[in-house]
Amino acid sequence: MNAKSFLTLVKRETWEHRSLLWVPVVTAALIVLATIISTNVAGSIRLDVDLDVESAAFFGLLAADQMAQAKLFSIWMGSIGLPVLVVTIIVLFFYLLDALYIERKDRSILFWKSMPVSDSATVLSKLFTAMVAVPVWVWAVSLVMGLLTFVIIALKVSGSPIAPLGNFHLTAWLALQLTLLQNLFLASLWYAPIAGWLLLVSVWAKRAPFLWAVLPPALVILFEEIIFNTEYVAQLIGHRLIHYFEAASLGINVETGAGPQVILDSIANTYNEMSAASLLGELHLYSGLAVAAIFVLLAIRLRRWRDDA
Amino acid sequence: MTDSVIVAKELRKRYGNHTVALDGASFAVGRGRIVGLMGPNGAGKTTALKAILGLTPFEGQLDVLGRDPRRERDSLMQDVCFIADVAVLPKWLRVNDAIEYVAGVHPRFHSARADAVLARTEIRRRSKISELSKGMITQLHLALIMAIDAKLLVLDEPTLGLDLLYRRAFYEALLNDYFDHERTILVTTHQVEEVENLLTDVLFINHGRIVLDSAIDDLPGRFVQLIANGDACEAARRLEPIYEREVFGRTAFVFEGRDATELAALGEIRTPSVADLFVAKMAGGAS
Repeated sequence: MNAKSFLTLVKRETWEHRSLLWVPVVTAALIVLATIISTNVAGSIRLDVDLDVESAAFFGLLAADQMAQAKLFSIWMGSIGLPVLVVTIIVLFFYLLDALYIERKDRSILFWKSMPVSDSATVLSKLFTAMVAVPVWVWAVSLVMGLLTFVIIALKVSGSPIAPLGNFHLTAWLALQLTLLQNLFLASLWYAPIAGWLLLVSVWAKRAPFLWAVLPPALVILFEEIIFNTEYVAQLIGHRLIHYFEAASLGINVETGAGPQVILDSIANTYNEMSAASLLGELHLYSGLAVAAIFVLLAIRLRRWRDDA
Repeated sequence: MTDSVIVAKELRKRYGNHTVALDGASFAVGRGRIVGLMGPNGAGKTTALKAILGLTPFEGQLDVLGRDPRRERDSLMQDVCFIADVAVLPKWLRVNDAIEYVAGVHPRFHSARADAVLARTEIRRRSKISELSKGMITQLHLALIMAIDAKLLVLDEPTLGLDLLYRRAFYEALLNDYFDHERTILVTTHQVEEVENLLTDVLFINHGRIVLDSAIDDLPGRFVQLIANGDACEAARRLEPIYEREVFGRTAFVFEGRDATELAALGEIRTPSVADLFVAKMAGGAS
């Protein structure tokens, strides 16, 4: 299996699952459209043009502080692509669940298996599509969408008291793109055990892969709760599901009525926490990767010997 | 058997506790042969093919092009092609993409050859498989397979569900444009009459065992069909025919290993067709 063959396998995935490519684009287009239509909302930051005394003071401070401007710019440029990521994760969930199931259902597996493509290459090409190819695509789509949204916002705020929001910060933007790309790869690594589980269910289930993916963990949680009155499994799975978004935090949390300086400090804090790199120092990332490797190896073995087409 | 492409010894395979698919099947397929593997439904044909293609685990010894399909499937598939069934090309695939895919993953695929075969059909390059007729899908699949320099081609009921015109065209293309006496073809089919003229060898399988393994050219020396006159029937039965049936008031017997001159006194002598032999062997095996 050389690089050209592997690339063909990844292409094959996009032919079969075109939604992997167009869903991020459509989501991004909707965000751009919403930015054009809306008068005062962009991403998670409210552009409140009817300034009260406090926010007037805040934008006064902001106009004088290039560094704070760059940080705020990074935060909203980084968070505006979040819906694209979330929608893509949902699409990827169903993609992985179908990836090794549909080929058995429509018996096309006998065609794929008539080619000199090993089961490991096939399974890994699907994992690669979900964990590398699609994330890079999401990154590129978000990058273009971010620039379009920025232009629209810059036009809207120019000449208003919140005009500092329309300043473009090139260095911050470049740094942000690297951070976002890094975060997407970290998300892939963090969610790898879930991807592996879905592939395993996909290759194993005779029917209803969705139920097989969801019900067994749900039943284990239920039995643990009933028999031992504990919830370790629930916590483990819950932590796996949400912890990435805790690590790559994008929310600016300030109490209502907080002073301008408090808001600026909060922006600086959020900016410092945008990178998910802290995950690299967590044991859970690596134990998850080990579990993912086991699931993927099992999926490869099952595809090799499964004989029901 | 130095020039054998496939050597199978004592293949055994069961599904669950009751269904025995292969029950000690042994056979060999020589290079450059066109072998028909025939048997009734459930005789073990498809299981034998799956074993050869490394698609299913089994017991016994099997050598395909010098490799064990269980352990060396990945390298084996460089030299082996198969068409499993008419329905296996996925509906969403476009004709263009199918060619690009095979060109991308198969080092021995020649796009130009596939293009040439497709140019003779009415298949449009932008069509999806779901837009093609059953016959066209088979044409496309054959075009893809014929563009690969494979040493062994395995066909499992390749013309199932096709009309007569497509079936004829399929086998003609295979014989005229693909087969070159270096390649080996192994084909299973129910439609015995349609393939018997193109085969060089027949393998009959029943209840998971090989019941006949012969070159077509050797059949006349081994088998004789006798259309006996009414009063000669008892004499014919004493010579232990392997099969008998009534034909328009006369009785047809099939003998194995009997001298034709010895039988000529009893009636009309013919060489049985492969279809006659198939019926004779399968009915005989069942009794």
